[in-house]
Amino acid sequence: MKASTKKTAAVLLTLAMLFSIAACGNTAKNPAENPGTLSASAPENNGKTPEQGNAPEVKDELVIGFNSVPSNYDPLNGFYNGVQILYSALVQTNADMEIVSDLATDYTVNEDALTYTFILRDGAEFSDGTAITAEDVIFSFETAKGNASSLDLSKMESISANGNEITIRLNKPDSTFILTVCNVGIVPKASYGEDFALNPISSGPYKLVQYDVDQQFILEANEHYYGAAPGISRVVFVKMADQDTRLMAVQSGQVDVTLTSAVVAANNSVNGYYLLEEETVDNFGIAMPYTERQAEKNEYGYAVGNDFTCDITIRKALAYGLDRQRVCEEALNGYGVPAYSENDGMPWYNPESEIEFDLAYAQSLLDDAGWVDTDGDGIREKNGVKASTTLLYSAGDDVRQAIAMAVSNQILENLGIEMTVEGVGWQDLPARMYSEPLILAWGSSNPKTSYMLYHSSNAGKEDWYNPENFTNEAVDGYLDAAIGARTLEEAIPYWQKAQWDGETGTSMRGECAYIFILNKTHLYWVREGLDTGTQKIHAHGDAWPLVQNLAQWKWN
Amino acid sequence: MKNINRRMISIIIASVILVTIVSIYFAGTLFPESALRADFSQKFLSPSFEHPFGTDYLGRDMFARTIKGLSLSLTVGAIASVVSSLIALIIGVTAALGKGWIDHAINWFIDVFMSVPHTVLLILISIALNQGATGLLIGIALTHWTSLARLVRAEVLQVRDQQFVLAARRFGKSPFWVARKHILPHVLPQFFVGLILMFPHAIMHESGLTFLGFGMPPEQPAIGIILSESMRYISAGAWWLVFFPGLALVVLVILIETFGTTVRHLFEPRQAQL
Repeated sequence: MKASTKKTAAVLLTLAMLFSIAACGNTAKNPAENPGTLSASAPENNGKTPEQGNAPEVKDELVIGFNSVPSNYDPLNGFYNGVQILYSALVQTNADMEIVSDLATDYTVNEDALTYTFILRDGAEFSDGTAITAEDVIFSFETAKGNASSLDLSKMESISANGNEITIRLNKPDSTFILTVCNVGIVPKASYGEDFALNPISSGPYKLVQYDVDQQFILEANEHYYGAAPGISRVVFVKMADQDTRLMAVQSGQVDVTLTSAVVAANNSVNGYYLLEEETVDNFGIAMPYTERQAEKNEYGYAVGNDFTCDITIRKALAYGLDRQRVCEEALNGYGVPAYSENDGMPWYNPESEIEFDLAYAQSLLDDAGWVDTDGDGIREKNGVKASTTLLYSAGDDVRQAIAMAVSNQILENLGIEMTVEGVGWQDLPARMYSEPLILAWGSSNPKTSYMLYHSSNAGKEDWYNPENFTNEAVDGYLDAAIGARTLEEAIPYWQKAQWDGETGTSMRGECAYIFILNKTHLYWVREGLDTGTQKIHAHGDAWPLVQNLAQWKWN
Repeated sequence: MKNINRRMISIIIASVILVTIVSIYFAGTLFPESALRADFSQKFLSPSFEHPFGTDYLGRDMFARTIKGLSLSLTVGAIASVVSSLIALIIGVTAALGKGWIDHAINWFIDVFMSVPHTVLLILISIALNQGATGLLIGIALTHWTSLARLVRAEVLQVRDQQFVLAARRFGKSPFWVARKHILPHVLPQFFVGLILMFPHAIMHESGLTFLGFGMPPEQPAIGIILSESMRYISAGAWWLVFFPGLALVVLVILIETFGTTVRHLFEPRQAQL
């Protein structure tokens, strides 16, 4: 009897808890209703209701609800994403992806594309007040090359200095090398040691003043920075891994900026905040196994190839028969735009590779190839084989799941091709990705991504770039020419031809090894009055791209 | 007269619950795949006549998913508790009928086993076996036999030295005959009740572990998966995504427990009257 009373009480308590959580989500939308919930780390008032706070002037601090806290701030050994915030490089890119000066006031590339010369700025200092010298630059490049982490400096043969003139010699031309230079944060040789990762001396607009493991990191303006002082002098990044936590944090006014998702944004609005929608190259597409099923397994012991998707007719039908705008609406509540390559909108994008949604054409491709629904089950057949395949996505990722399901529904309805959606854990995907269609996401501000995705030297490797085993001689030629060009600008025609040269290419107009679907719009709740500056087109991953121009942010 | 009524009531309750559980199982198994398909025109609908449990962010009907999930839980729970109970039966009987040192060894082993928190052990076994349904099944089966093994051992010990057993042995009946005719009938009711009561426990573990990400693969519509997916949308106001599947799981567990308790009353009318 007693046990059952306990059980009933437990059930009732659980129900009460669930109701209270649900109720929280519905009611705590107005921060003005909860003035007492502001945390100690965010005591400021947003300036909109001065009668409630004691700081009527414009704020000089910012709290960001971030999804992660790095445990390493060493730009030469693993800290990659936020380099521009803490460090200056020799050059950097602007919002139009043009190379502009940073610590180097000017740079030149020799005719042979092997020698880069940079003129170092005078008077620049690290955050500890010491001067940034050519020696520091050389040290930074050599250390980064030695570490061989995320910075690929393998083509750098030597680096030397003559006064304030720094010369880098490559052993092979690489038009994207200058973009790598943008990410080599310059560190002081004198104080670079083992503890640098957590006690960095910065050369950029901000410096790290506090780091709490897995909780938060705090930046303050670097008063020794050579450039203009940042618009906001103190920025607190608080880790909020859950979507829910982040929403509640803005609902209660605890953070000024935070990440959100298409589902949350479509179903909520937050008083005092606006929804910032940023254009991206964060593209989602399907890697389609490009070869026939191979008799032998690959070097990792996994099956390779797929007899259904190796047929270009099938791939083209899928590409042309997919209404991408509808997928954006269904899977992302409209917070996405159709994508046609891994680099839509970037300077090296070829707009000619864009295709139209053309259902009649897609259906005729299948009809002409003999794929017809003879038994009336809604799925086409050819020679007794059903037009059917799986569509894998990384389990637990609700964006990819929604995209996969929207695509699967539409492909069945539009084309009579069955794509059975299956969520598979990341650790189990390698066993299947070489032989089954898989939703992958790419998108970076470096055209080298295209080289990694499509050059035959990288086909079928375990680095996720080209599990479909795409190879094409003409494409290889263009990609080699693009990499071998002298500058980024000179490489652009080759990158574009690799996508579509009028006859072939990597795009869906060409070989169609990837069915590109959409670019996911990055969404953030931003407190009214905060200006997040001019953003570059965001790369894959929605946290760091937002804050790369943090120094330009300001309160209005 | 009063006793007969009570017995009748117990039988009716047990039958109704059994029919309900079996119906849930078959409803889940027979639900067509199309019932689980995403329908983006029906996203995030709150409960209605058409969708009694509402729909999720992909427009899937939560009622269909919940029933499917419960059916899956029942399958896992049934297999895991049957295997676990058989382990308990074998070990319990061996301990009771074996020689002294075997009994000591088994008891010691059970003590050691019980000293490790079984959820931790379950997670470790599940991870070691690559998770998934098999890992979960083996994990639950291997960690839940101890209490029932002790119970079986105690029951067997109780009858082992009884006059009628000794008499049967003196009459030259084989140990197998004695076990079959005298010991097993005595142990079986307790064994079945133990088995049934292990069932909800196994279901809760299946859901709990799956919720934590150590159990069923994410593409399965298991209740644990549904709950962990739905947690993300509570703050978006979609309370029904968690509430109904959670409630359904609790109700199912209570039903099976009530069934187990009722069956025990039927087997042991003496205790039932206490």
